[in-house]
Formats: sequence, C-alpha cells, structure tokens
Amino acid sequence: MHHMAVRPPVDDERTTLFSLRQLAYTYPDGTPGLRSIDLDIFPGDRVALVGQNGSGKSTLIRHLNGLFLAQAGRCSYQGELITEAMVQGLRQKVGILFQDPDDHLFCNTLYDDVAFGPRNQGRRPEEVERLVHHWLGEVELDQVMYKPAHHLSYGQKKRAALAAILAMEPEVLILDEPTANLDPRQEAVFRRLLEQFTGALIAIDHDLLFLYGLCERAVVLAQGQVHHDYSFQQLAAEPQALCEHGLDFTFRFTCCGQHYHHDQYHHHHHGTHEHEVAGAHLHGESQQTDPIIELQHYWYSYPDTTPGVSNINLSLFPGDTLALIGENGAGKSTLAHCLLGLHRPEKNEGFYLLEGRPLARQDYRQLWRRVGMVFQNAADQLFSPSCREEVAFGPEQLGLSKTEVRRRVEQALELVGLSGYAKRPPLHMSGGERKRLAIAATLSLEPEVLILDEPTASLDPRSEELLLQILADLPITKILVTHDLFFVRQLCARTVVLHQGRIIRDYATHEFLADEHLQVVNGLDYTYKNSCYQEIQALQGISLR
Amino acid sequence: MHIADGVLPTAVAAGSYIVTLAGLGLSLRTLDQRELPKIAVVSSSFFVASLIHLPLGPTSVHLLLPGLVGALLGPTAFLSIVVGLFLQSLLFQFGGLTALGANSLMMGLPALVCGFLYRRLRGTSKKSNALVGSLVSGLGVLLAALILAFFLATGGESFMGVAKIALVAHIPVMVVEALVGGFVISFLYQVKPELLGVTLARENV
Amino acid sequence: MNFDQAHVIVLNGVQTMSLFSCLFLPFFCALVAWLLKAEESTSAGQKTEPDWSSPVLDRHGQGSSLFHTWAPSIKIATLLIAAFVIVSLHTLAWALTALFCCALCVELTGMSWTRPLRRLAALGGFLGMLVVIVPLTSPVQSGETVLVLPGLPEWPYSLAGAHLALTIVCKAMAVALLMEPMLATSSLPQTLQGFTDLGLPASLNQMILLCHRYIFVFQEEMRRMQRSMRVRGFVPRTNIATLRTMGSGFGMLFIRSFERTERVYEAMLSRGYQGSFPAEVRQKITNMDLVKGVLFIMIAAILLAGDRLLPLILF
Repeated sequence: MHHMAVRPPVDDERTTLFSLRQLAYTYPDGTPGLRSIDLDIFPGDRVALVGQNGSGKSTLIRHLNGLFLAQAGRCSYQGELITEAMVQGLRQKVGILFQDPDDHLFCNTLYDDVAFGPRNQGRRPEEVERLVHHWLGEVELDQVMYKPAHHLSYGQKKRAALAAILAMEPEVLILDEPTANLDPRQEAVFRRLLEQFTGALIAIDHDLLFLYGLCERAVVLAQGQVHHDYSFQQLAAEPQALCEHGLDFTFRFTCCGQHYHHDQYHHHHHGTHEHEVAGAHLHGESQQTDPIIELQHYWYSYPDTTPGVSNINLSLFPGDTLALIGENGAGKSTLAHCLLGLHRPEKNEGFYLLEGRPLARQDYRQLWRRVGMVFQNAADQLFSPSCREEVAFGPEQLGLSKTEVRRRVEQALELVGLSGYAKRPPLHMSGGERKRLAIAATLSLEPEVLILDEPTASLDPRSEELLLQILADLPITKILVTHDLFFVRQLCARTVVLHQGRIIRDYATHEFLADEHLQVVNGLDYTYKNSCYQEIQALQGISLR
Repeated sequence: MHIADGVLPTAVAAGSYIVTLAGLGLSLRTLDQRELPKIAVVSSSFFVASLIHLPLGPTSVHLLLPGLVGALLGPTAFLSIVVGLFLQSLLFQFGGLTALGANSLMMGLPALVCGFLYRRLRGTSKKSNALVGSLVSGLGVLLAALILAFFLATGGESFMGVAKIALVAHIPVMVVEALVGGFVISFLYQVKPELLGVTLARENV
Repeated sequence: MNFDQAHVIVLNGVQTMSLFSCLFLPFFCALVAWLLKAEESTSAGQKTEPDWSSPVLDRHGQGSSLFHTWAPSIKIATLLIAAFVIVSLHTLAWALTALFCCALCVELTGMSWTRPLRRLAALGGFLGMLVVIVPLTSPVQSGETVLVLPGLPEWPYSLAGAHLALTIVCKAMAVALLMEPMLATSSLPQTLQGFTDLGLPASLNQMILLCHRYIFVFQEEMRRMQRSMRVRGFVPRTNIATLRTMGSGFGMLFIRSFERTERVYEAMLSRGYQGSFPAEVRQKITNMDLVKGVLFIMIAAILLAGDRLLPLILF
C-alpha cells in the first residue's frame, strides 16, 4: 500500500553520529510522539527532516539534544547512549535553533545572549569575547551588539538566535523552521552561513525549496515513524511520495520558471467564467470605475525611530487583488495598518479617500466596518474559548441580531472550510486551521476589502493549497502582503513594490515577475528559488505545456 | 494601589522588608531551582496584565491580580509577586523602593491565601471553578486593601482617614476583579484546564 | 467635631483655591515639564539612534558622571541607606532639603529629566490623595491651628496634617528622584549584579532579568491581541461583555506565557543551562567607590541629624 524506502540499519565503518533504534516516545498527556524510529545520522550529513504537522519531527529533534530522553528503544550519540548523566556534554555539541527567536534571546543584551552558550561551555572570557564578535559580525549585527533583543526587528532576532547557536561551535546543528517569515535577503544570510557550516545539519522546514539547496538527504516522518530515507533528489522526484505526506508543493510548479505569455491575461467587464489560473483577469479598463479606497500623498512616521511610509499614492478598485511586496522593514505592514485606519497621518499629511470622499478624523474609527485585516501571526491572536465565539465576536460588535450573527458565523466558517468546528477551542487546532479561523473571524464582518499579512507563513503545503483555493474563491477586494511569489502570481493581477517606505513600482504582476532590476533596488532575490523550481521540475520530468 | 516612599514609619517599612526577605528565602530554598526561570517568565505576563486598564464609568481601573496569581501559581505566587513589584517600582515608580517589603506583603499574602482557598474549594465543574475563581479574585483585592489599610494605620491617627478611604476606593476594583477573575478561570477551564491546579513546581502530594 | 481648643481660621473661597494650588504646585510643575519634554521629543521627530555597538550603561543615557562610574554594589548600598534615611525624616524643612539634594543628584548624572519627571507624575495620584485627605481627617490637637474651608465646617483643615502630608510628599519625591541615579546609571544586569554582591540570591537576580526581558514580549503579544479585537470593532466599555472579552484575553495571555516558559526553558537547556547563569565579569571596587559611599552617607547623616536636632518648623 505504502511505498516505504527505509535504509536498512548499517554498521558503517564511519562512526555514526546519532544512532536511533526503535525509539518511541509518548507525551505525559498520552499524545503519541514517536512510535518507532530507526535512523542513523553520520558526520557531515545534511538532512532535511520533513513530514506533516504532528508527524513527530519536533519530538525527534528534542531527543537528539537530550531535551527528551528515550522512553523505549535506544538513542545514542557517537556510540554513547544518551542519558541524564551525559546530556550536559551533548548539549554543548548539538545546537538547536527553535522557531521563535524570542525564546532564544532571554538576556538583556545581544552580547549576553550570544555569550550564554560559550560561557556555559566553560570557555575563557577572551575566547567568549572573540566568538561573540565573530558571529554577530557574521550575521551582520555587530552594530547592535549591546542592544536588548526587544528593540530588534523579527529578522534581526532570527539572525541573532542563529549566531547564539553558532557561537557554541556545535558539531551538529538542528534547525526548526529557520526561514519562516524572512525576506529573501535575510534568507540568503541564513543560506550562506548554513552552507559554510561543516558539521552535521538537520533541518525542519516547510519550504522544501529552501531545503533543496541545502540538504542532500531527506528523512520523511509520518505518524512517528521514518517512512522514507533517501536523497533529497529522490524525494523531489517522487510527486506521489510528496503527496502522501502532505508535502506536495508541486502545485506550485505552475508558477515560476516559465515565461509570461501575454494572451493569458485579458479583461472582462463581467465575470462570466473562471480560469484555471486565478487572477488572470487584468483590471485594465475597470479603472474607469471609482476606486473604493484611494490614498493620496499619505505619510506616516512612528514616534520612535521605526521607519514608516512616505508619500503613498495608491488606488484600490473593487475586485482588485493586489500584492504588496518589499523587503522586511520596507513599510508593508505599516501601509496595511494605514489602510485599516490604525495609523492616522499627522495633521494634513495626505488624504484617505473612501469611495471618493476624504475621511474626517472620526471616520477612521469606523473603517473596521469596511476594511478587514488578518494580521501576521493572526493564528496567535485568537482569544475566544470556541470557534463560534471567535467568529461571532465581530458581528456582535456590529450589534446584529442573533439570527443574523448565527447566519454569518455559519457562512464564514463554511467559506474557510471549517464547518463543524464551531465548538472546538481555537487553541487546540493546527496552525493552518487557526489561520483559516482568523480569516473567518474577519469575513464574518463582511468587509469590502480584506488585507492579509503574510498569510502563508509557517503553513505546511497542504494548508497552503487549501488557503490558496479559499482566497481565489473570495469575490471581495484583497490585498496580500507577502514574500510568497507563488501566491502573488496565482492570486494577484497587480503588484505594488515598496522600498524604504515608498512605492517604487505599481504594475501588473507579470511585469513584476519579469522585472530584473528589482533585486538591484531592494535586494529581493527571488531568482534563486526560481532556479530551484526549475531543477525540481526537471527531476520530476513534468512538462508544463 | 501601591504604597509610596515615606508614608510608612521606618520601623514598619524595614520590618516588612525583613519578613519579605525571609519569605523569599524560604520560597527559593523550597522550590526546585529548575523551575525558577519558568516562574520568572510567567511573572512577566502577570506584570503585563496588571498594566491593562479597564474602563469603569468615567475613569478606569487596572487589576491587582493577587487572587488570580495565587490560583494559577499556588505557593510560588509570593516569589512571582515580589519579582513583579520590584520591576514595577524600578520601571514605573509604582510603589516606593523603601515600601517594597510592605507592598510585597500586601499583595503576596492574599495571593497565598487565595491560592490555598481556590485549590480547596474549586470543585470539579466549570461553574464551580469559575465561581470560586471569581470569589478568590475579589477576596484577593479585599485582603490587599485590608493590609494596605493596616499599614497606613500604623502611621498613627492622622492616617486613619486615608486608610478608610483607601479601603472604600478598592470596592469597585474588587467588583471588576471578581468578574474578570471569574471569566479568566472559566476561559482557562474550557481551553487549558491543566493550567489550573497544576503548579509550576511539581505537585507535592 | 469639637475643635474648641484649636486655633481656628476661617477661609474664603479664593484663599482655599490658592491654598490648594500651592499644595499641588510640585505635581503641576512636574506634569507640565514632562508634557513639554514629551512634546519636544515628538516634534524633534526622528531621534538619533544611540550607538549600540559599544557597551551602553543604560539605554537612556550614556554618561561618565560619578554615578555611572560608581561600582553598582557600593552605589546601591549607599543610596538604599540614603533612601531609608530620607523616609525617616520628620520635618518638612529637612525633607525639602533632601528633595533638593536628590534633584541635584539627578542633575549630576547628566541624564534627561524625562524619566525622573515621569516617576514623579506616577506618584501624583497617591500623594495627591494624601495631601487632600490627611489634613482634613487628622485629629485636631489643642493649641493647633486649623483652617475652616467654605462649605466644609465639619472638616477642619489641620495645618499639622498639612505639614505631615507635605513632608511625605517631599520624601516620596526625593526617593523617586534618587531611583534614577541609583538604578539607571548602570545597565540592568550590572545593577542586579550589584544586588547579588550585596547578598541577594543570584537566582532571584536571574528571575528579575528574565521577567524584565519577557515583559516586552508579552506586552507586544497583548498589544497585538487588543489590536485584533479593535479591528473587529471592539470598544472597551463599562459592561459585562467587555469584562468577559478582557477575561478571555487575559486567559489567552496567561496560556501563551505558560507555553512560552516551556519553550524558553528548552532553549536555555539546549544551550547548556545548568541551573545558573554564567557569571558576568564583576566590576572591581576601588577606593574611589568607597569615598563616594562615605560622602553620601555623611550627607544622609547630616540630614537625619538636622531633622532630629534642629527641627525647623516652617508653619
């Protein structure tokens, strides 16, 4: 039934680094973590650890660092069984980079954060000093060495956390979602450092394209067992295996690496039919209709030194689906918050026109009735004990009748494919489900414009595909703030590029995709991933035509 | 409300410091050292919650939280509260540095009492948990206000008026906190019941 | 109330107004000054980013004042004693002197007055209440002067009570001003290391540091949650629904903090944490540190001696 490609346990003359035999682990609350893992990892291995959410990836890496000890079976490092007594030594050689950098940066300056590991290793102060300087330099943070982590941007924190691990000069480096939410430029810093790293590397990531350039070996987990263990090329070449494990990112292959053809895009006055590729309709002449929202010479600057946006001219037409692109810190989220009315300009710095009428000061407060937003990490901003209450929250604030609220809740849950989830507590749902719930919670307000900030961040491919479908089917005006080129291409007919708080491009998406000057301007290197797509396509022998 | 510097007689301020330090020493000694970082991180969330203002008529109140901290942390609540109060004094001047001992007792003792009562009385249903949670939240404020009044009264007859007014001023806070506390406990009971009654330090049976 | 033996002065409305405005003058000045500062900093627009590449003593001001160069342990010990001496003062004149000395200390640090003023503003509510209530509710002694305010014949305004209240105000403000030179002229880790050197358990020191670090993280989380409530139309009001929503919000905050503790702890363990933070390099105590200590203790001693031996009565 299931094609299993598991390497037989080998007693290689090379010393194995990790040797796992029938390793099993069950959480105290009874949730199964690992069923039976047989795995060998060798020095210099570069392993991609992939599998659906809940397949046991996080449980497995916690065993490799001694955070969890084997309940059944064996788990040894360099021939030595991992026990309570030896974990201290083990942890000084095996570094783990967890997903949330705030978990790693628990000191009050970056210097102390990076020095924490080396100091625990018992290194001399001069050596600690040298390591900290070297690694903070490597991640381009030596200018902020004594800054507390809470004054850093997300990308900076992520890089600092990597430096904190690398400063321990580990023999093994384990990474959990290293590049989630990073723009291509910061991702490149990660890629450079990881390529330089000479020890064994074990990476969990949903972004198979990032792993493709980094890893040689792929270990696929499912239900707490190793289902495949082969070269990464083999994994990529087997669409069926990818599909079985919810890793099928081949739906993305319709995107990039091919050239844009003009005849795919055309204009309709009325939506009479659907295309396979959503967003193929150019708004073109629809600009004759009035824009819903128009920003004119809009400025916003934060009271502190955080850069804002300047001189924004942007029109949003009914039915538009717009991509907002730019490097981290370019002002994408700020602009989204401006559209939402969260950021009002100082004095008369710009106009916000809603349906052609300039907004008065007090009108900003009412914008939530028209414009909905799903924030970055919206899945973590839910606050109700059940899905029903979460989705009903907005309509209740509108003061709608009970029957109307009920109707809207049902409709919104259905739109995002969560019918039947009404009584479930959001906290216990998966990241993808929570993301969709957050969208439903906004849709129940029936907004005319929906803004989504990084909707695909840390979703597994299956959830992404579902999300893509949901968004493509939504008839309202949408703005996508994202780094995800594929979603841009699939959903957005129009792309707006921000750089240092200004709109530097506002054109059709196909022009954006063909724009080679862009990476010179803002360092957004999307070309690397395109070449990965093409290589994988070649492996799978898929012809797109 | 926190006591500012200079209000208490020096002997009372110093005495409550000594009692607080003794309590801290006892907490630190009896607790598993490995649990301390966890208590610290949880304390920051209580700190943040106590800064949120809730509207009350034309004005607003913020929560004192001794009851909830007690219910959630049990015996470790005292440590958590001292850490939080020290930072409040350091960062915002909420409570004077010389009155830190008195403020710690004012919040810490009710937390311990409320934690004990909650564990004893909460029962097993969502309703009884929410109800007891609400009661101990209100009780926490009441006890804190009584201790505050007591401390103020040590200043002599001139402070009796202030002590009475402080007591009265805590009544609306008590009502708000009892309601919010009940909602918090009922939310936690629905969503993450293991948080209630499971202390960070391993349960001593 | 019977206050026959007391010296009674009946005030009219204008006099009452001027009396109260005098009492509230310090707060008023602090508030105005603070607002002006705040206005200044926003109108100045982009503040220049401090240089984070060298060790900063405190994020609110690098300095080389006598406080900045003072070894934290001796500094804290000295100023803590000074603070206790200040709160022990009984007379207004000496409390005012102490307030002046502390203001001088702030000036000597060379740091901005924004934060000291904000501290004073934070005291406003509590001290304002004292200034109003204590004189009105103090028991009247024989031979004492009381003012009878228009419309409040039952509540004589005791001048002795006013003296007491104002003394407290001065003491509280003095100690509040001393906080900045004492605790903000070294980085927080150094300051706490100073406490540890004085005998506070190192584990408590680490707890405070960790708590401080994650306050910012949770504040951000709470801010985001409130924002996502707001864009869905939530406006806090005085009603049960608001309290229910906030209750859920707090509950969520606590759950997320408990979950984060586990993750932070794992991250610490995975980098070799064994129950204690690796020690920082300690600042050596020099003779100069001790000289400063003796100097400040002497000033405090003079204040106390003056207070007890030379009680100047202002009114």
